[in-house]
Amino acid sequence: MRLQRHDLHTLTGSYALDALQGGELAEFERHLNHCSSCTSEVRGLRATAARLALATAERPPATMRGRVLTMAERTRQLPPLTDERPARRGTSRQARRARRVWIPRFSMAVAALSVAAAVVFGIAQNSARDQLNTIRSQLASAEAHNHELSAVLAASDAHLVSSATSRGGTVTAVVSPGQGKLVVVTSGLPALPASKVYQLWLLGPSVTQPAGLLSGPQNGRTDPVVAAGLVAGYKLGITVEPAGGTLKPTTAPIVDMPLPA
Amino acid sequence: MRQPRPGSGPEEGRDQGLEGLLACVARGDHAAFETVYDDLSAPVFGLIRKVLRDPAQSEEVAQEVLLEVWRTASRFDAGKGGAMPWVMTIAHRRAVDRVRSETSAVQREQKVAPDPVSGPDDVADAVEANLESQRVRRCLDGLTEAQRESVKLAYYGGYTYPQVAKLLGVALGTVKTRIRDGLIRMRDCMEVSW
Repeated sequence: MRLQRHDLHTLTGSYALDALQGGELAEFERHLNHCSSCTSEVRGLRATAARLALATAERPPATMRGRVLTMAERTRQLPPLTDERPARRGTSRQARRARRVWIPRFSMAVAALSVAAAVVFGIAQNSARDQLNTIRSQLASAEAHNHELSAVLAASDAHLVSSATSRGGTVTAVVSPGQGKLVVVTSGLPALPASKVYQLWLLGPSVTQPAGLLSGPQNGRTDPVVAAGLVAGYKLGITVEPAGGTLKPTTAPIVDMPLPA
Repeated sequence: MRQPRPGSGPEEGRDQGLEGLLACVARGDHAAFETVYDDLSAPVFGLIRKVLRDPAQSEEVAQEVLLEVWRTASRFDAGKGGAMPWVMTIAHRRAVDRVRSETSAVQREQKVAPDPVSGPDDVADAVEANLESQRVRRCLDGLTEAQRESVKLAYYGGYTYPQVAKLLGVALGTVKTRIRDGLIRMRDCMEVSW
């Protein structure tokens, strides 16, 4: 169902609060490219939302400071965007700039799935065809509600790596070193009791970062998880932890997979 | 450019506000990043915790957000909006991404008391007692009950507007309008500049 222009304009508020999803989000973002009054209104409403955020300020645990500063020292920064790339037709310069500021992660969202499929099919030649199809459909279902995923999958430097785990099954990751992120899916991991969970870790030479939890396997597969904060030299680890996860691994990793830098 | 050179110290950067600090951070200035951390970690963590509730998950996401500020500082464009909204947008998106992934949706149900609507007292608990938060609360009080409820569910609750409509039992168009009208009223009440 296509929305009327008027309806689209009233979505500025919901968009500013990240309350849009899926097709409607994509449609509104296309609309933003051509609607300078919407862009301006969104900017004002985002600034307003930021004030709402300030009212919830709460000091994080003191230990977080050292961890973040250490991680920053090990993390390469993105270069600034320049106008060296050729402009896309039909997009005004102003609108493109606005998108860069506010929605950097969405810029490739629409094309992401086909690119993801190409990445998966192009690189994972060893994997069985049905597994690839499953990964693709897992990615497709996740894409609808996680736009962050799209950016990783669409990254020009995306690599696919895969490894068996010591408990059986395989873990597969699409890695974008440039974005410092990876998308992790698994197949064939044994199911765990409700009191346990598979937890992802980024294992550096001297730091171990929690990188998210896997959903309970369904039909032998887990939903894609996006992990950030990847630095050259890190490995991906998975441990079995109490439900809810922990801040440090408490069991031996079932996989310890080097990631492309 | 009248930005301080890297290494010129956080104090000089602070004089220029967050925008100037981010310009320093983009050039790899760790001292400036420390100042940014000290200025932003509480709002970032507080917002994420408001949405996710779970302290451990919130800490994890807050770390990711602050590291993303470090990594992507070069992409911040002061001509297109303030630094605080830029960072808070990253923080809020990360939090709702986490909420909307099935993994954490399950955990959230398991681990969190069902209290989607946070009232003013709830906000007040976590708030540092400052003029800014008093002003936010005063302006929130200036909204209609329906607007306030919709804005809070969407922003603090991390719900999509169709989810908000369902929770409140009203039409989609009604919620869209309430959210937009409520935010515009907030904007005008707080004299937000952008």
